[in-house]
Amino acid sequence: MAAVPAAGTRPRTSLRRSRAKRRAGRVATYLVAAVVGLFSVFPLFWMVLTSIKPRAEIVTRDPVFWPSEFQWERYGDVLARGFTTYLGNSLFIATTVTVIGVLVAALAGYSLARFDLPLKRYLLLVVLATQMFPVVVLLIPFFAVMRQLDLLNSYTGLIITYMSFSIPLAIWILRGFFRGIPDELEDAALVDGCSRFGAMWRIVLPLAGPGIAACSIYVFIAAWNEFLFALTFTSSDDMRTLPVALQAFIGRDATDHGAIMAASTLFTLPVVSFFLFVHKRLTEGMVSGAVKG
Amino acid sequence: MSLPPDTVGRRRAEQAATPSGAGGDGAARGRGPRRRRRRGASWRQRFDRTLLPPLLLAPALLIIFGLVGYPVLRTFWLSFHDAGLAAMVSGDMEFVGIDNYVTILTDAHYRRVFLVTAVFGLACVVGTMVLGIGVALLLNQPFKGRFVLGVLVLLPWAMPRVAAATIWRWMFHDQYGVVNWLFTTFGFSNFEGFAWFVSPLRAFTAIGVVVVWQSFPFVALSVLAALQSIPQDVVEAARLDGATATQRLRHITLPMIKPVLVVMVIISTIWNFKVFDQVFVMTEGGPARSTEVLSIATWREAFTRLDFGLASALAIAMFLILTVVTIVYVRVIRDDEELT
Repeated sequence: MAAVPAAGTRPRTSLRRSRAKRRAGRVATYLVAAVVGLFSVFPLFWMVLTSIKPRAEIVTRDPVFWPSEFQWERYGDVLARGFTTYLGNSLFIATTVTVIGVLVAALAGYSLARFDLPLKRYLLLVVLATQMFPVVVLLIPFFAVMRQLDLLNSYTGLIITYMSFSIPLAIWILRGFFRGIPDELEDAALVDGCSRFGAMWRIVLPLAGPGIAACSIYVFIAAWNEFLFALTFTSSDDMRTLPVALQAFIGRDATDHGAIMAASTLFTLPVVSFFLFVHKRLTEGMVSGAVKG
Repeated sequence: MSLPPDTVGRRRAEQAATPSGAGGDGAARGRGPRRRRRRGASWRQRFDRTLLPPLLLAPALLIIFGLVGYPVLRTFWLSFHDAGLAAMVSGDMEFVGIDNYVTILTDAHYRRVFLVTAVFGLACVVGTMVLGIGVALLLNQPFKGRFVLGVLVLLPWAMPRVAAATIWRWMFHDQYGVVNWLFTTFGFSNFEGFAWFVSPLRAFTAIGVVVVWQSFPFVALSVLAALQSIPQDVVEAARLDGATATQRLRHITLPMIKPVLVVMVIISTIWNFKVFDQVFVMTEGGPARSTEVLSIATWREAFTRLDFGLASALAIAMFLILTVVTIVYVRVIRDDEELT
């Protein structure tokens, strides 16, 4: 099921359809594709463009689509205003959450994919239900717990919070992948004297590479994006993550649109480039993970 | 792993094949008459069968339930108490029964919040699904540049929500926004200086566009995956039998991708009922609290007005609504798909 038919697998169009109709259909397809593409990418284009326009060309009644000169110095200014710290915070938190979270989820996903556990069906539902839980519901008691554990305004507090929210979905994604790997491979390793854990570690995990990649991206983006908990749990400036810093930055310099857009671009760029880099793996992951469930 | 793993595995499996066969589940086999050497292996087998599965699960369950369990109970408890800031600090909170819930249900503002959340959430779900399915169908067509479009469509998903809301707010600016310019250029002169954030309906329209813009890629990608797993010969057979494109869509394609559609509807319902970031960045619930959705209202009660009791009651109300959705979800999935 994982195989994706290549482009052009649709059968040749029947002779009954006239040539003109076919051409009209093709034109319509391209037209719709162009609109969808523009709609998707224009805001990103506009953001980057605004960040490098001269100030006078940002605030205009008729939009300037190509600036007379490129002003790159806003990026330096933004970085100098503490954004390196925020970038570092976000990177550290998101990476830690991804590494530990995916590992923990992989162990659990394997267990749920391969073994017959009592109440497994209900366990799966409850794990899924936590994914359905509105995050904002838990904000207040989480805040209280973190205050009692003295983890407010710390990396640890945010990291374990993010993990508790991203692990459930990660378990489901990875479980789908593990189920797609034939049992026979592990059985062979077991017969050869491997322990069950060894079979999982040496055979199944490497084979589930694409799934683990897709899952990692998912977890990483969720942690990178998170705003509400970071806003509520951090109080000092040097602990801020990028979304919170950006929001504060917008509040402080509401009129300096160029700087705001430069900050937004700096915030977006790492994720988008990472996304483009692993795009193919991700789509493969969606195909075999999401659909098989 | 240097060798192609599947061939290695298969070869080994064949070599090791015993009268009971190479396939089958380890646990089922162990119980049969074919018991292997009784040395250390049996201890290990027993460990693998009984202790390993819960051990592998333990860290995940510890993190999920250890952290989420207590907060859920605590929210529930708080919602029946008068928990203002002073009470929270001193720790002696007065039990007020269902007072907080009564306040929520009788206060005109909160009734409005529930209504607005439901209507706005549903509108976003519809928008997300329609656009997502449409784009998936488009990407399923063979045309040049399909791959490029597939990449472009992913970008909104990759963009952090706060950054997305920020750029869109600028694009919706009444005087200098590119959206108004676009409308006026295409002849809608009443969009000249159109103020998007002065009335709730307009503001919600703008926020809705941003929400849909960010959530349709996930739906499009998942539905595309489902579309591509439909066997082509079925569609082809229907076409040869004279079914039109619309008939094929209605009677073959849509029923076959229904399980994925159901999952997408429910996931986007839950996501859109929880919308916070986009509203917070674009209007902060204004003007005059008219774009306060449930998550914003909860946040405001808790962290600016410091009434944790009322906020908890709002949170539980949201939880109840979404639990109903979850139950419906589980029902539909159980009817439709195996969940094992």
